[in-house]
Amino acid sequence: MQLEQSTLTTHVAEPPVTGKRETFFYDNAIVSNFAIATIIWGVVGMLGGLYVAFELVFPKVLNVGPWFNFGRLRPLHTNAVIFAFVGNGIFMGYYYSIQRLLKSRMWSDKLSKIHFWGWQAIIVAAAITLPLGITTSKEYAELEWPIDIAITVIWVIFGWNMFATILKRRERHLYVAVWFYIATFITVAVLHVVNSIEIPVSFFKSYPVYAGVQDALVQWWYGHNAVAFFLTTPYLGLMYYFMPKAANRPVYSYKLSIIHFWALIFLYIWAGPHHLLYTALPNWAQSLGIVFSFMLIFPSWGGMINGLLTLRGAWDKVRDDVILKFMVVAVTAYGMATFEGPMLSLKTINAVSHFTDWTIAHVHVGGLGWNGMLTFGILYWLIPRIFKTELYSKKLANFHFWIATLGILFWVIPMYWAGFMQSFMWKQFTPSGQLKYQFLETVTFMKPFYAVRGFGGLLFVTGAIVMMYNLFKTIAKGKIVANEQAEAPALVGAYTRHKGEHWHRWIERKPTPLFIATLIVILIGGAVEMIPTFMIKSNVPTIASVKPYTPLELQGRDIYVREGCYLCHSQMVRPFRSETERYGEYSKAGEFIYDHPFQWGSKRTGPDLAREGTGNLKKSNAWHFNHLDDPQSISTGSVMPAYSFLIDDVLDTTTTAAKIRAMQKLGVPYPAGYDKTANQDLVKQADGIAVDLKANGIKVKSDKEIIAVIAYLQRLGTDVTKNKVVVENK
Amino acid sequence: MFKFIKQYAETIKGIDIYPIISLFIFLLFFIVVLWYVKKMDKTSVEKLSNLPFDAEDDNSYANTI
Repeated sequence: MQLEQSTLTTHVAEPPVTGKRETFFYDNAIVSNFAIATIIWGVVGMLGGLYVAFELVFPKVLNVGPWFNFGRLRPLHTNAVIFAFVGNGIFMGYYYSIQRLLKSRMWSDKLSKIHFWGWQAIIVAAAITLPLGITTSKEYAELEWPIDIAITVIWVIFGWNMFATILKRRERHLYVAVWFYIATFITVAVLHVVNSIEIPVSFFKSYPVYAGVQDALVQWWYGHNAVAFFLTTPYLGLMYYFMPKAANRPVYSYKLSIIHFWALIFLYIWAGPHHLLYTALPNWAQSLGIVFSFMLIFPSWGGMINGLLTLRGAWDKVRDDVILKFMVVAVTAYGMATFEGPMLSLKTINAVSHFTDWTIAHVHVGGLGWNGMLTFGILYWLIPRIFKTELYSKKLANFHFWIATLGILFWVIPMYWAGFMQSFMWKQFTPSGQLKYQFLETVTFMKPFYAVRGFGGLLFVTGAIVMMYNLFKTIAKGKIVANEQAEAPALVGAYTRHKGEHWHRWIERKPTPLFIATLIVILIGGAVEMIPTFMIKSNVPTIASVKPYTPLELQGRDIYVREGCYLCHSQMVRPFRSETERYGEYSKAGEFIYDHPFQWGSKRTGPDLAREGTGNLKKSNAWHFNHLDDPQSISTGSVMPAYSFLIDDVLDTTTTAAKIRAMQKLGVPYPAGYDKTANQDLVKQADGIAVDLKANGIKVKSDKEIIAVIAYLQRLGTDVTKNKVVVENK
Repeated sequence: MFKFIKQYAETIKGIDIYPIISLFIFLLFFIVVLWYVKKMDKTSVEKLSNLPFDAEDDNSYANTI
């Protein structure tokens, strides 16, 4: 160790720094706070995942409606693991590493504290509002507008403190990890603000300003880059700091890390449309997404190789050092996920994988493998250091490693298998040209796979709970060094370039040009994708027969959003024979112009509903009533939760006027003053459905929520069938 | 203002050239980054890659596991 340290400090190319040597203290208390939050929220988020996984195995027992139904809990799980577990994990590693990389305490302890408590308050707000059905229905951006504003404020505080610290630093050069943190701050800010532009209807309800295709494009530009700039770039920053620290040797190639950084942030931002292949999104935008997604493999693998080769000459340590084991699995999972991602962006593969459990397996290789295992490795490295003690039990840490690794395998293998099977079953025809399987058959076929996946999840969560015990025991036997003493010379005066210095060194020293360069790089991709879609009329051909929703349908649609139906039901028929046979005419961009928000979905645990009100798919009002009340009584083996509470709950019509006004503001052509009379139409339509239900032996008052949902489901797809003019997607 | 821009953008012909232009922008960008990295001075690269290490680092708990 001593030997290595001396070699590390040998090659100093800079002119000597003449600043006075200063003593200062690193703030470890904030690191410890975020670490504890990471551990607790990690276990909570994973338990949430386990619960929703088993909801698909035991739907009747576990879907305790309405609060614990799959549609409401699934966003809670995704938000908890992304923003609570990984989010706190980012900040834990960030506060530890940035202070040491800049040789400076954080600029303001107060801002650090506000950041910590603000972030936890946002998580608690999410944990309360999502089970209550308060959601925007935009995946990983489900939180409603007041929480969106809170996120913006807290994010700015995090960035403000970061930049102020960078400005008062004692180390002139910014290490590559700091670049990744800067890129994370800037891009997440841009993504969050652009995707959250919405018109509030009430304190808990808003409509996005975008509709249909545009909303989908913005959402998946956000969704994809949330993966890129929340789950990836900050973790790469952590990798570039903690992996060299754990292995006790510098990163394999610093040059490669620079290429990794610039290529990654440039390419990622373009790749969003690969979530929308074969949809009604304009073809040129799809092609753009494919090309850039494919190219992403190069920087991603550059980064993975850089991480793994950092262990050069230290592979013998991997046998004994559990921290390195966690990190090796994490980086390998990163490599696997980033190889698979570009492959899934190819149209031929996407045609098979999209809407199936394959996608779910893919994200969990990243989530459990990359984010999970790297976080665990960092926690085991960091906690003993800031509490100045040894880890409570090495044996338990090793047990955690093996059970987590096994858990990942048990999790993803059945889900890959399930994904292939789903797709093949959906697409299989009999020799006479009929679809071979009913959709329901494909659902019941999945149950054993879901059960094994649940078992894998159980193993992974068990590991996390063991880690919690181990680390809390470590914390209990140690004592935190809340303020860790350090020494470094101050930076003095203006820096003079030395002869032959490269121009990029200037950017590495100056945070502001780096900030601006990063911003420009990420804005190019977003702008090229979005501006034409927003500006060019021909991208969204209008269809004359597409009309705004009636007030009752609009209310029903909002209940559909509230209950998270989009999480299992897509509304997007792709132009494949297997889909047009099953669901009807493929979806057109012009069909969605009044859809604030779009409801295309990303997964088909249940069938597509885009044409639910038309052709062979049309069912009676009574069928919908009974199906919503008790899905299994109509579709044996269905995994859908029961929505019997919709029969008891009265539809809140006091919001109708505000909703109509908001829609008018967004350009939906309701007649002027319609907000005042909309409820009359609503009551009339609801009465009609109630009368029809009565004629079929179902007594229900017309003011119940279920009536609105039925009205919405019966409307789906009907506009296009009225129109005989063929409209093509471009 | 927005309307003014929109009016003109709507009349752009051959908007499909966008992806091709984008690809070229990236290639150019990538070549510049490659060129810069190639030109980097070896000793400074070594100094930079050693930034996470500090002589005063407390490693008394290193390799405890």
